[in-house]
Amino acid sequence: MSSLEIRDLTVELGDRIILKNLDLSISSGSFAAILGPSGCGKTTLLRSIAGLITPRGGAIRFGKQLVSVSSLVLPPHKRNIGYVPQEGGLFPHLSVEENVSFSLGKKTSKKERDELVEELLDLVGMPNYQKRLPQELSGGQQTRIALARALAMKPAMILLDEPFAALDQTLRAEISQEVVTLLKSSKTTSIMVTHDREDALVSADIIALMRDGQVVQSGSPSEVYLKPISAAAAESTGDILTLPANKIEGNQYLSPLNSPVEQIGQRAGYESGQILVRPEEIALNLEPGERRVSAKISKINYYGHDALVELNFAGLAQVVRARVTDTKGLEVGSNIFVSHKGPIRWVPEKATDQ
Amino acid sequence: MALKRLRFITLALALSLGASLLTGCASQKSESLVIYSGRSESFISPFLNQFTALTGAKLDVRYGDSAALAAQLLEEGTNSPADLFISQDAGALGAISEAGLFAQLDQQVLDRVEDKYRSSRSDWVGITGRARVFAYSPERVKNLPNSIDQLTLPIYRSKIGIAPTNSSFQAFITALIQSRGEAAAANWLEKLKANDVKLYEKNSQIVAAIDAGEIDLGLVNHYYLWEVSKALGREIAVANGFFAPGDTGNMINVAGAGILKTATNSQVSLDLLTYLLNDEVQREFVKATYEYSLVLTDAYPVGLPPLREIPSPRVDLSLLANLSKTQALLIKVGLI
Amino acid sequence: MSQEGWARRQSRPSIALLVASTIALLAASLPLFYLFRRAIDAEISEISLILFRSKTLEILATTLGLTAAVTALSTLIGLALAWTLFNIDLPFRSALQALVILPVAIPSYVFTYSWISLIPGFKGLWAALFVLVLATTPYITLTTLAALRRSDWSTYEVAQTLGLNGLQIFVRVTWPQIKNSVAAGSLLSALYVLSDFGAISLLGVDTLTRAIENIYRGSFDRSSASILALILVAISALVIRLEERSRQRLHIIKSSNRIIKRAKTNDKLKVKLIALFGIGSYLALGLAIPLFQLLSIFLANSTSINYSLLFKASISTLIAACLGALIALTLALPVGVLSAQGSRLGRVSDKAILIVHALPGIVMGLALVSFGSSIPWLYQSLLLLSFAYALLFMAKAVGSVRSSVDRVPKNLIEISATLGLPKSATFRRVVIPLATPGLLSGTLLVLLAAMKELPATLMLKPIGFETLATQMWSYSSIFRFNEAAPYALLLVLIAAIPTFLINRPDEGDGIGGDQI
Repeated sequence: MSSLEIRDLTVELGDRIILKNLDLSISSGSFAAILGPSGCGKTTLLRSIAGLITPRGGAIRFGKQLVSVSSLVLPPHKRNIGYVPQEGGLFPHLSVEENVSFSLGKKTSKKERDELVEELLDLVGMPNYQKRLPQELSGGQQTRIALARALAMKPAMILLDEPFAALDQTLRAEISQEVVTLLKSSKTTSIMVTHDREDALVSADIIALMRDGQVVQSGSPSEVYLKPISAAAAESTGDILTLPANKIEGNQYLSPLNSPVEQIGQRAGYESGQILVRPEEIALNLEPGERRVSAKISKINYYGHDALVELNFAGLAQVVRARVTDTKGLEVGSNIFVSHKGPIRWVPEKATDQ
Repeated sequence: MALKRLRFITLALALSLGASLLTGCASQKSESLVIYSGRSESFISPFLNQFTALTGAKLDVRYGDSAALAAQLLEEGTNSPADLFISQDAGALGAISEAGLFAQLDQQVLDRVEDKYRSSRSDWVGITGRARVFAYSPERVKNLPNSIDQLTLPIYRSKIGIAPTNSSFQAFITALIQSRGEAAAANWLEKLKANDVKLYEKNSQIVAAIDAGEIDLGLVNHYYLWEVSKALGREIAVANGFFAPGDTGNMINVAGAGILKTATNSQVSLDLLTYLLNDEVQREFVKATYEYSLVLTDAYPVGLPPLREIPSPRVDLSLLANLSKTQALLIKVGLI
Repeated sequence: MSQEGWARRQSRPSIALLVASTIALLAASLPLFYLFRRAIDAEISEISLILFRSKTLEILATTLGLTAAVTALSTLIGLALAWTLFNIDLPFRSALQALVILPVAIPSYVFTYSWISLIPGFKGLWAALFVLVLATTPYITLTTLAALRRSDWSTYEVAQTLGLNGLQIFVRVTWPQIKNSVAAGSLLSALYVLSDFGAISLLGVDTLTRAIENIYRGSFDRSSASILALILVAISALVIRLEERSRQRLHIIKSSNRIIKRAKTNDKLKVKLIALFGIGSYLALGLAIPLFQLLSIFLANSTSINYSLLFKASISTLIAACLGALIALTLALPVGVLSAQGSRLGRVSDKAILIVHALPGIVMGLALVSFGSSIPWLYQSLLLLSFAYALLFMAKAVGSVRSSVDRVPKNLIEISATLGLPKSATFRRVVIPLATPGLLSGTLLVLLAAMKELPATLMLKPIGFETLATQMWSYSSIFRFNEAAPYALLLVLIAAIPTFLINRPDEGDGIGGDQI
């Protein structure tokens, strides 16, 4: 178990800069998710941590141990890292048992080996699979065996690359829950790369949002969800509305939803900014009232457990989506009175990733 | 599964490696002779076994093609493990002699055969003789040619076979160049070619072709009649014929042997040569191969004239060591 | 902080591999070095005489023409056979798939001899084309079948749904996936023609290899022969370059570990009959007729067989050929691995090994005589003989080593590293086992070729060590073809075993059954 500290990591593959001055720190024993769209460099980050890639610059530290500084790297086999790649990457020529015990040296006796394998297979919920071959396993089973294989070496850290991407929706929720619970209970520092925001939000203790080769924000799931530092960061964790903030005077801004934006003093120096609103933070009222703005319903997308209502405001070209649990009384074409119930988030328009 | 197979193969490797080292060392015994033989095993080994029985000398024989063995000896040079080289034809012996790899032979051994059947450098000696003849179908050829010049006549058009890549044919052309000059030889070859001569790879194929009726007549060595008949397991309708006295078409080539300078046991080698030129052994040779004895006047193949009655031309056999001029001529004419 | 165990660059190949590959390169350069040394001895006038005579041009034209024609035809036939056997649901398909490879087990001189004895007057360029096409087709059939089994079946299904017909699917979907393997097989076929002496000499066709042999035979002129051999080397380098240019890195990644089993096809009777007729014709010409002819030569004039000699010769053949195949694998493995990693040393060694493959046996034999005769303990030992086999035929292994190592998924190698295994252990526990089917079939191809080898064997075998090929030669050189026939038949029978092993259709799916 060790913490991970990355400073100023830069990775080039070919002529392209994949990671650019990336910083990240993850405390010991936590479960971190690196969340970002495909092509943002998150797999490259994972491979750099594993030692499979030689960075151009920067430092990576496991606890107190420096494993990568500038282009000097500790080779992967000396890092004691459990790596679970996409689709498991099981050795096709070896049985489940042989896969799981792959990292055990000659010093381990057959008995110890068998016991450990049995224990780990129990742990991943696949007892009695010792003699099976990888080809005979489903995608989810392969991932779980790959995890058992990584855990067998008692790694300082576990790296998971899109572990659940190959699974279908129903299986996915179940297996990801199992795996996460298992890893958390083992108190192994775990880093999971994913492009699925639900996976990240549900499982992680800490989420690092990646964009274009950099970590733009990291923090607890609620922190990154509720306090995004930019529109892009907000978009990574869920649906978001970006609305223009209308400057009234001085530091006073007004949102199109007619609620005053107050906490903007700290953001002095920026001429303009955006207001970020989550769809569930918009309340729809049938009756007019104070700080309620009139809007027209243009569409209702019904999902069962909730619905997204599309609204048109006078003087606002943008369509505003509101998430409601109850669609009673709402009709396409009718007028409705909108209020804002959540916190007001203002981000400077040209907010870069400081 | 695959891994287990690999392990088995590794085991086999280890075992055979051990065996190979043993084999490598085994040939280094002092009381043995190493012989490179261009003559075939089934022909020569009975005689060699008899020699071993008589003298107790162990003979290690490497069999191969005479020309290839000569090339090998040239390549080995002074590192050769060989004591004695037995060759099918004079050309290969001449090449070794020219490279200076043969040791001088005892005059007594040399004198067993006429001087035209041995090296002019006194370093190899002929053991048996083989005559160039024309093989023909007695049924279809009534007027036998008495000179090679008649082979270019229209009556033989498309009816003659030769084996121009074969060294025995090339030896004959070499003799032809020697006796008539290059221009005349070229002229004869061109006329022969113009007479639609049929080309074969081997002498035996010519004899078989005459038997099969493809052609009527061919230029071969005399003993192929028996060899083909034996291979086919039946009598064949082919006979040997000689040209008029002195015609180059009747030349005699020899199979012979020489002792190498690298010989570790030249006395035993000499003993073996002496043995091979012994009267009794020579008689056996004639029976076994249908070749001519170069030692005895009364030992010759059944149905053919004795060696001294063959009207053969005098040919310097040492010239046969380099057939490149001959090959160049054959190439120029377009026969090879 | 300790720097121990740190590496600056990770892609650097291991020292052991570099050393081993250098040894292989040196071994492969041995005959080339020999040729240069001999060629330098030649007089300038002699060189120009050889090079600029019109006959040389003719020989070159014959060599190039025959090589091109044989390669083209055998590629076409091999491709057709493989495609048919893979796609059409024929009865006894597994047996047929193994049988079409079997002609590779028949030495070309035996093959040619049986045809000559069958058809009087069978000779010349057309006859050579016929014999060599039949003899080299299995190389292409073998590599193509393996590639087809490896190709992603789902792409064919997708192509069908996209409305492509059979021919379009072949051209646009199948061909790109099997192209490299077909080219590798064609290369082996071309190099076979360049180095063949058995068929060419019996049929009287003037190729470079025969011209080289004639020079040795006629004038014992080793420097002129070396010059011609160097021309042969240049041609083979050209052919290798052509193949390399046509080779592309393929990125066939099966969508997952789960193999999509092909659906059982339901072909029309007419299609099946045509397919059977084609395969049957090839098998008749390439296998049944030569074997029947051999058998009838033997039976026509059968003599008692010396069984102990026959047995001894079989064992000797197997020992020498196995040892040769293992040395070949040992030398080819580091070269193939480095070549797959894109190392320059690997690629150079790879090519040197291929070039040497086009040399006639007599040249290789003499090169090793020249080098080995100064080392008495080694000279004419089994070890040197096997080494000669390895040098002559490791080209047949190096391609399959390269491609099967290349095909080991990179991510598995990485995972092994993250699981704490150093490179050497990863190589042993992941790369080798996954590449084993390919390595094995490459090694078996060497084994097959070594079992048939004659000219170098005659020069380098220990005295008294007789192989099936030398026994066969010793009888047929004195026209006792009937006595040679049992040796030829046994050679084919023994060679049939590795041939079936190479082409195990049942294990042909997934990573198994890999070839070239």
